[in-house]
Amino acid sequence: MISFFRWLGKFLKHMTAEPTGALLKPGDPGYQEVHTLSSNLDKNIKIITEIFGLCDDLMVRGLKIGRGKKQVRVAVIYLDPLINHTRLQQGLMHCLQTIDHLPSMGVTTEWLINNALSDGRVIEKKSFVEITDEINRGAACLLIEGLDQALLIRLAEKIGRAVEGPVTENVSKGALDAFNEDVRTNIALLRKRLHTTRLAVENLQIGELTKTEVKLVYLKGYVIEGLVDEIKSRVRRIRIDGIVDSGQVEELIQDSAFSLFSLLDSTERPDKLAANLLEGKAGLLFDNTPIAIIIPGTLINQIQSPEDYYQRYWFSSWIRVLRWLALLTALLGPSLWIAIITFHQELLPTELLMTILVTREGVPFPGLVEALIMELSLEVLREAGLRLPQTFGQTISIVGAVVLGQAAVSAGLASPGMVIVVALTAIASFVIPTQPLSNTIRILRFPFMLLAASFGLIGIIVGFSILTYHLCSLRSYGIPFLSPLAPLSFGDLKDTFIRAPIWKMLFRPRLTGYREPQRQNPDQRPHPPSRKGKKFIRRRK
Amino acid sequence: MLDRGRISSVQLFLLLVIAEAATAFLYAPSSVIKMVGRDSWLTPFIAAISGLVVAVVCIALAKRFPQQVFTEYLPQILGKIPGKILAGVYTAVFIHLSSVIMNQSSAFIHVAFLRETPLVALEIIIGLASIYGVYLGIEVIARQNELVWPVWVLSIFIIILLVAESINPDNFRPFLEKGIMPVIKGSALFSSFRGEVFLLLMLYPYLNKKEDVYKSAVYHLLTTAVLLGIITAAIIGVFGELIPVYMVFPIYNLARYISLARFVERIQILIVVMWMFGVIVKLAVFYHSAAIAAANTLGLKNYRLTLLPILAGTIIISRLFYGDHLSLTHFLSHIFPYYGPVVELVIPALVLLIAVILKKGGKS
Repeated sequence: MISFFRWLGKFLKHMTAEPTGALLKPGDPGYQEVHTLSSNLDKNIKIITEIFGLCDDLMVRGLKIGRGKKQVRVAVIYLDPLINHTRLQQGLMHCLQTIDHLPSMGVTTEWLINNALSDGRVIEKKSFVEITDEINRGAACLLIEGLDQALLIRLAEKIGRAVEGPVTENVSKGALDAFNEDVRTNIALLRKRLHTTRLAVENLQIGELTKTEVKLVYLKGYVIEGLVDEIKSRVRRIRIDGIVDSGQVEELIQDSAFSLFSLLDSTERPDKLAANLLEGKAGLLFDNTPIAIIIPGTLINQIQSPEDYYQRYWFSSWIRVLRWLALLTALLGPSLWIAIITFHQELLPTELLMTILVTREGVPFPGLVEALIMELSLEVLREAGLRLPQTFGQTISIVGAVVLGQAAVSAGLASPGMVIVVALTAIASFVIPTQPLSNTIRILRFPFMLLAASFGLIGIIVGFSILTYHLCSLRSYGIPFLSPLAPLSFGDLKDTFIRAPIWKMLFRPRLTGYREPQRQNPDQRPHPPSRKGKKFIRRRK
Repeated sequence: MLDRGRISSVQLFLLLVIAEAATAFLYAPSSVIKMVGRDSWLTPFIAAISGLVVAVVCIALAKRFPQQVFTEYLPQILGKIPGKILAGVYTAVFIHLSSVIMNQSSAFIHVAFLRETPLVALEIIIGLASIYGVYLGIEVIARQNELVWPVWVLSIFIIILLVAESINPDNFRPFLEKGIMPVIKGSALFSSFRGEVFLLLMLYPYLNKKEDVYKSAVYHLLTTAVLLGIITAAIIGVFGELIPVYMVFPIYNLARYISLARFVERIQILIVVMWMFGVIVKLAVFYHSAAIAAANTLGLKNYRLTLLPILAGTIIISRLFYGDHLSLTHFLSHIFPYYGPVVELVIPALVLLIAVILKKGGKS
């Protein structure tokens, strides 16, 4: 028995041990000899080509620089598809070929950088790991005979699309640029909005094989205390072969892994990210993903659109109230309908009740089954519309409208009232400005329908109570998910159900922006010039 | 302390209000009007005085042991075995009170809405919703309450606003016809509801700023007195002093009475929504106290283990002892006025006395 446990212990240790085949890390014994360049050019080239192995696109070009007897052999190694060939030719090859006089002391990397190369983004590396890593990212590696250092010139071609408009977070008024798949473009878009030295951009890397670049951005001195360290420790904890999209990271670093709610906000709009950074939050930008993550996330943030701040405040406030109503409709629409027609007919005015009953006559299903059929077909329709090639979009909308709406009613399979309710919930769920929240509501609708069918309104209330209990218990990186509603911070209600005028939003949100509470000067309300004409502009206090 | 949560003084205040008013506004007016008649809207204010006494005693006791709940420090005051026994008694009291609340809620739903749904099923889902909150801790209950509260107060005021035109001032006259004594006697009935401020014994340790406890308690007593007074006054104003006696839930009838423009009708739904949201929080507070008390008595490290047994227990008690509505109203109007003050005031006061004599705990 004991031996079994010993064996089990060994087995577990074996299973959880780090893979041993990995390359040696800096500091390990033997690292220097095996993994750094020697001064023998041919040996270096051989090792690099061996490391890359069967890579057809690895180019090795040898040439000689200088004139006469003092010529020195060099080699340029790069991955062909990643390189910008114009820049390779002008910034490197041309420069190397036109070198006339080599220094009498012998060629050094410093001399090359200072006198020969015109391209600025040059770094020196010694170890093969770093060199191959840079080549993989699109650098050209310059090896020189007799030197145990390599020069890496970053000549990567920008691959991917240009900056385009947002796909899911549309606005009618506001900036129309969105993040794309190139992290450097994304950082540029952000820097374009925050011209301050306080904007920190830290590099994190995820994925043993993909080595995806992840940039942590925040405003120094404004960000929540301890947040940056917490994000870094959670990101560094990730040991995974590859990250293809930011959604994968989101699942790995969010709190309450089993919650239906997405506890981190994501956005494809640089203006939204910039505004959130200004409130003391932090962001993660990913290479190859047009979606940035905002940490910490709150429910209130997910039901707001950046446009709310660009429209006039009274209109934004009205839209926000409308959005809350739409949220409730999307969540409770079908279940309220089921509850009323199954249990609480007396709640409807008599004439309305008569109308509904007449249309429901001949429908062979109880309310729940009818609602489930309609809701499920709507979900399928929605998913189909998303996956179909654009040219088929027309077909789907016709099939959906005619078959599910008109035909289901005239065939007596569904009542017109139910069709209206289902359509209304579908439209209402599109009003929610962020995708994750909208998806959560879509799923939550079904348990509410079941509760309504079993207990009527009481079931809905119980379900809603459980939902709010759950929401109250959620925290995202220490910030309550439901803040500022619960725990209530009264001052922050100015930016929840309504939006106060910009000149009234004097303070940052209490929980996230406490390090620099004041956002602007007080008393910025525009005033007409005073009647006497003396004070044209009100003086700052 | 088994729950590591922290609540603010405002949260405590709101919790106390909901823990008392959520059932009182539905059940108390009918029986008070039966005893006192047209002056019964005064009783909540007079009962607030007894509430204040309970609060003072409980706070004095709780302050001696600021980091522990009542059932935790009982053995330190009374000695191990008597202390444990009293802690067990209080566990039973909390479970019993929870089952009364449970019964009240299912009875109300039964009368108002679902006449064919088995009451056990209703009690199970309401109970499950509440113990989910308890499972998540006192902090979550307090936050939930912050969300429920506006809904709750708003719907009361909407109802009273909409019936305001039907209020007949003559229903309040003559004022204090038989002197003040019947009002004081009648307030005894309210006192037991008002005495539910004794939950402070179980909630005080979670308060983050201990010095604000008096503020919370006093605001709570005032707010609840005003709320209950207004509700009772509205009932009397609309129905007079005779009809409400025969009503089970006068406030529900009040909401049914509303008819605005022949469209805003039958909004008693508001009452049910408000009541249910409130009662789930109220039940959660009592379940929380019961679970903590039970865990202390049994010496458990995790109070969450006791939740399901307590839920089962409350449902059984509620079904066995208060199976019909008469026994519930009998309990509320004839037993609770005596039983309430004993557990809310007399026993804590005696414990406080012993603690003072034996010099147990820190100075109050």
